[in-house]
Amino acid sequence: MTEDIQRKLQSELNSFKNVQKELQKAIQTRQQLDGQFNENEIVKQELDILPDDGKVYKSVGPVLIKTELVEAKQNVSKRIDYITKELKRVDDLIVNLEKKQDGHREALQKLQHQFQQAQVKAALHA
Amino acid sequence: MAQISATEQKGMQQIDLTTLNIQQLSTLKQQLDQELNLFQESLGSLKIAQTKFQNSGETLEKVTPEAEGKEILVPLTGSMYVPGKLHETNNVIIDIGTRYYVEKDIDAAKDYFQRKIKFVTEQMEKIQYLGLEKSKIRDAIVEIAEMKLAQQQQQS
Repeated sequence: MTEDIQRKLQSELNSFKNVQKELQKAIQTRQQLDGQFNENEIVKQELDILPDDGKVYKSVGPVLIKTELVEAKQNVSKRIDYITKELKRVDDLIVNLEKKQDGHREALQKLQHQFQQAQVKAALHA
Repeated sequence: MAQISATEQKGMQQIDLTTLNIQQLSTLKQQLDQELNLFQESLGSLKIAQTKFQNSGETLEKVTPEAEGKEILVPLTGSMYVPGKLHETNNVIIDIGTRYYVEKDIDAAKDYFQRKIKFVTEQMEKIQYLGLEKSKIRDAIVEIAEMKLAQQQQQS
């Protein structure tokens, strides 16, 4: 009886840890995306206040290549759109994983309780 | 992610700290400690950014029309320089992030750095305020936890 519960407890603990790891990873991705989003927003603001004939360069490796302002603006907007979508995706993922984690935590607590009870019982019989 | 705040906010649950047990209090304290650490780190990075912007802004003071044609030493590596001549001293190229660079005249460039310094300073003030608030909550938690511990000892 106790061994049975112990086995269940172990497998539940493993899946709980796995979810926790996934959640950590998702949160890290979220933070990274958030940083990229902010950086791009700032670049967009800078490009927006530039005069129409402003000179813009893009660094490709060690060289600066001249770009059209319109093109740069489009590029940054596209990137912001993409990052916004990614942020939404990761947010959903985090919500899902948090739900999963809570589920596992509850199951773990239940099993722990059962395990303790079984141990007490075994001790009484002994 | 879960937020902890002393001021009431929409969608937030109010919790009376005295109703929590010692374990819950210590988890809460750990969480706050982590956040406070993060704040310290962010403040450090912001301070570095602020100094960089300040340095760049100050350097611009030396780039004047009179400096045109003056000799400078251009660093090729950290320890190797080649002589060069200043050319087109009324324009500079600024890194605005995500690998984009824009050309600005000196006044616009000065304005750029002023704005950046202001922005960074504002962020620092925000974080300092939040950090103060959180450390207040942390102190309250520690106090209540100590109180509870004392109570437990008396009972046993």
